[in-house]
Amino acid sequence: MRKLLLALMLMIPGPAIAESLVSTVSSPQVLITSSFDGATLSLFGNIEGTAEAPAAGPYNVIVVITGPLQDRVTRLKTNSFGIWSNTDSVDFRHFPSFYAVIASGKLDAIATPELLTQYAIRPEEQARLAAQSQVLKAERFGMELVRLMIEQQHFVVREDSVRFLSPTAYAVNLTLPSDVANGPFLVHTLVFKNQELVAERSEGFSVRKSGFENFVFVASRQQPLLYGLVCVLLALGTGWLAGVAFKR
Amino acid sequence: MQIYLPIAELSMNLFFLIGIGGAVGFLSGLFGVGGGFLLTPLLIFSGVPAPVAVASVTGQVAASSTSGALSYYRRGGIDLHLAMYLILSSTIGAMIGVATFSALRAAGQLDLFISVSYLVLLGFVGTLMMIEAVRTLMRRRAGVVMRDKLPGQHNWMHALPMRIRFKKSRLYISVLPVLAIGVFIGWVGALLGIGGGFILVPALVYLLRVPANVVVGTSLLQVVAMMCVTLVLQAVTSQSVDILLAFCLMLGGTVGAQFGASAGKYLRGDQLRALLALLVLAVAIRFGLTLVLPPSDPFSMAIIAGRLG
Repeated sequence: MRKLLLALMLMIPGPAIAESLVSTVSSPQVLITSSFDGATLSLFGNIEGTAEAPAAGPYNVIVVITGPLQDRVTRLKTNSFGIWSNTDSVDFRHFPSFYAVIASGKLDAIATPELLTQYAIRPEEQARLAAQSQVLKAERFGMELVRLMIEQQHFVVREDSVRFLSPTAYAVNLTLPSDVANGPFLVHTLVFKNQELVAERSEGFSVRKSGFENFVFVASRQQPLLYGLVCVLLALGTGWLAGVAFKR
Repeated sequence: MQIYLPIAELSMNLFFLIGIGGAVGFLSGLFGVGGGFLLTPLLIFSGVPAPVAVASVTGQVAASSTSGALSYYRRGGIDLHLAMYLILSSTIGAMIGVATFSALRAAGQLDLFISVSYLVLLGFVGTLMMIEAVRTLMRRRAGVVMRDKLPGQHNWMHALPMRIRFKKSRLYISVLPVLAIGVFIGWVGALLGIGGGFILVPALVYLLRVPANVVVGTSLLQVVAMMCVTLVLQAVTSQSVDILLAFCLMLGGTVGAQFGASAGKYLRGDQLRALLALLVLAVAIRFGLTLVLPPSDPFSMAIIAGRLG
């Protein structure tokens, strides 16, 4: 679905692009070890012109980082017969587990509203895309979902947070929370000039467990019965050991 | 010190985990209950995804109950004969419970059912125990001599056929109520993800008249068996047992259970029951309040199982 979206984006005829973008992520792979407590990444880029039309700003940059997609449900509690219970819910399919928008200025000032909608830059647009229906209820639940994701620091919108090292070179810091989902992350960088898109580039990095953490995870998925039996032995062994240690 | 939990996919403070494991383990050793009904909500409140919390606590309860059961066994506080009947019947109950769990989830009413049954079960058991314990305490204060076993106090259950002699418990009763209690505990345990100790202890005391000196140990042994079965079932079906999380909780829990079991020796049976009744009632009230009070945020979100990435 994401690939399809990208393909659609690329087919949309833009203005004659004179600028191009060179960018990189500080680490293409974030490895999770036992002491993992979140990670900070840096994204660097440079806007390049051609010989005839050298790059000349002022440029604005929006970096959109999308984490692995998940199916989520947003539920609403209401009171019936004096008891609060979940009575209504909306499913969101292929919804980002992590979503960060980092911009060099206010989003409204950088790009036209049409471009912001077309590229689904605001988190609310992601909810709209993931909702299974387009009725008013899905809209409302989508807004609440985004609010909850922002509260849990899975969604981030940071305006005025792209550092320009020169008129064409920029750097962005990205912090991943400690409960970040594992999997592929997509970094989509858009360069704007006079509210028009002049260059864009996609790249990625991945977050995955390494060493013992990875071993445990793989074991729990591929050998669940054995994994369960090991858990039982561990529990009985630990209990027995404590019993022996405290024997008087 | 942060430690990354590979199945929960988040990092938590190691000392916090050992600490809450220890605190709950202490209560578990003291009262002969698993403590899952306290630990699971605590973990969920700390940000652990609910399925991982439920599944991993099973491991901690198994460990601390093992350690508690061992210390009762050494004191001769377990009726192995009675425990065997309970374990066999509760395993059957657990299988029925797993099936019920799936049926309720398909009907979409699992959350409400779990909250309401916690409330009803804890409230009912807690109130009964409280009434009984207060009555005993008052009678003792009035100077009436109480014995642990009340001879001659038989109820209709003792008139059922298929009687069996449980030597350690000094009981000669029908096997039918024993099996019925086992099936019920297994069913509720699998359904609510608890060991069922807080139901089993009063059931043994009030329904079967098992003497106080073997109630807690026998209940702990039953909880160990129940939790081991559930642990394997969880690992295979939901794959959400976090072995590191469980181990951190076990470290605290087993040590706590030892201290709890020692502390239990300094309290009388009726005092223990009154304290357990207070604890059970407190949790019941907490569940009741979440059902009745307006939630701080009416909206909530959850990942639908079968996550990608």
